Amino acid sequence: MASPALEPFPVCRTAELPPGSRRIAELRGISIGVFNLAGQYFALRNRCPHRSAPLCEGRLMGLVKADQAYAYTTEREGEILRCPWHGWEFDIRTGRSVALPETIRSKCYQTSVERSEPEGRVDTYPVSQREDMVVVWLPKPASTERARDRPGDP
Amino acid sequence: MKSDEPASAGSDAAAAKRPAAPSPQTELIIDTDVHHSLAAKEDLYPFLPSHSRERLAEHGLPRLGNVYYQNGGYQGIRADCLKSPDEDSAAARSSFSLFQEKLLGACGVNVAILNGELTAAFVTLADADYSADLCRAFNDWTVANWLSKDDRFRCALTVPMHQPEAAVREIERLGGHPGVVGIYVICGSPRLYGQRCFDRVYAACVEHGLVVALHFSGEGAGMNPPPTAAGFPSYYAETYLLRPQFYQAHLSSFLFEGTFEKFPSLRVVFLESGFAWVPAFRWRADTAWKALRSQTPWVKRLPSEYIDAHVRFSTQPMEEPASAQALGEVLEWMHGANSLMFASDFPHWDFDAPATVAQCFPAAMRRQVLSGNALQTYPKLHGLARA
Ligand code: FES
Repeated sequence: MASPALEPFPVCRTAELPPGSRRIAELRGISIGVFNLAGQYFALRNRCPHRSAPLCEGRLMGLVKADQAYAYTTEREGEILRCPWHGWEFDIRTGRSVALPETIRSKCYQTSVERSEPEGRVDTYPVSQREDMVVVWLPKPASTERARDRPGDP
Repeated sequence: MKSDEPASAGSDAAAAKRPAAPSPQTELIIDTDVHHSLAAKEDLYPFLPSHSRERLAEHGLPRLGNVYYQNGGYQGIRADCLKSPDEDSAAARSSFSLFQEKLLGACGVNVAILNGELTAAFVTLADADYSADLCRAFNDWTVANWLSKDDRFRCALTVPMHQPEAAVREIERLGGHPGVVGIYVICGSPRLYGQRCFDRVYAACVEHGLVVALHFSGEGAGMNPPPTAAGFPSYYAETYLLRPQFYQAHLSSFLFEGTFEKFPSLRVVFLESGFAWVPAFRWRADTAWKALRSQTPWVKRLPSEYIDAHVRFSTQPMEEPASAQALGEVLEWMHGANSLMFASDFPHWDFDAPATVAQCFPAAMRRQVLSGNALQTYPKLHGLARA
């Protein structure tokens, strides 16, 4: 995981983040949700690309699908995060919108707060395990970074 | 704590302890659509005559009839206001401290206008006296538990519009309270609101400096006609996108019944109506009037001119066109700089925060949207205008 562009932040002990659970941590002023999906860790920015809700406080759901009208099926229980405000769904494994995965443009971290591209994806971060610690890796700080995430701030 | 609930770690826990101070703010923010509610039926007991208290005890709070649809969020409110979808939302919907923290504090709202979300259940009851008693008790409860505790809260009165004489009595009883800034009226109604039976209500509003705030709800419930003239949709998403028709029906009624000729200082506020439909409506109304003017000769001016003078719209839920340019055109065509007012819809699931809403508008319009238009529209807020 070591990379010159990334910086490690220990978040908690692995025992504190069992499968199916999450923690929200503020790392260098950025609020980040760390999820344990059946032993694999994922980290997403706690900030919805739609209107800046605290996304990672949202409900964990399955992926609800229907191959034809009214034929509901649910798969991947617990792997979809639904925004606590307007209900947009995101795939925790990719940070991508469930409704519009194809319109995603990959955006660099500094521009992800632009309002002009509301659809798309949430910033994700690599997560690793060091001994018994869960570690999230953030890009080294850029001078334009905001001091702190607050729900609803543009 | 269940394993899928968010837990805090590290410095986030410290962050949670910090008071939710608003960001450095110079703008006045007026939120025209906030929905408070009761925690329990017992809240109303002190404000009800004994026979109505007995009925409420025996039957519980009325609910919106059979067609109410499954809303978003948890039970219709923001999911981050509850710990889990299983938690009963009544306490959160009624939590003074939650509103203070998440709306006034976190969003920096200076004035929040409360529009009681149980209004629809109260005013779709056919029993005139019980309905009026519940409205009156709810208003008294609001004054005692919200307006009296924090003067950033104002309210629009819940009035039984289906019995205009009772609505007038309620306006005369409480309309003079300094925190009461309007009446809160739902779109579901046996009759269109421009019709002459409502004139006495508008006369009372004008006399007391109250706006008429119209908000969807109650369509298809109780005595009201179905939620669309073509029938009952199956899903909430349909009702959500079909809302403009309710407002259009009432707006055409106000225009062609001559309500604004009869009440030149009346202001009508459309809450949660969306607004991108407004330009097309204006054009079509003007076309109809030019051709058919002689049938309603008391309508003296172009309908669009009455709209400019008398009708205001709220921002939530924000229209999300494909481009900022498209939004700019809609704003220009509907004279949005003078007609749009910020609304959050807190604590409902489709809440909009003022900071992100402001970003959607051209910089020159933001102050008007966040406060300027509301200050001009609500007579009882005129005094708040800052130099
Ligand atoms: S802020 Fe997340 S869906 Fe709107």
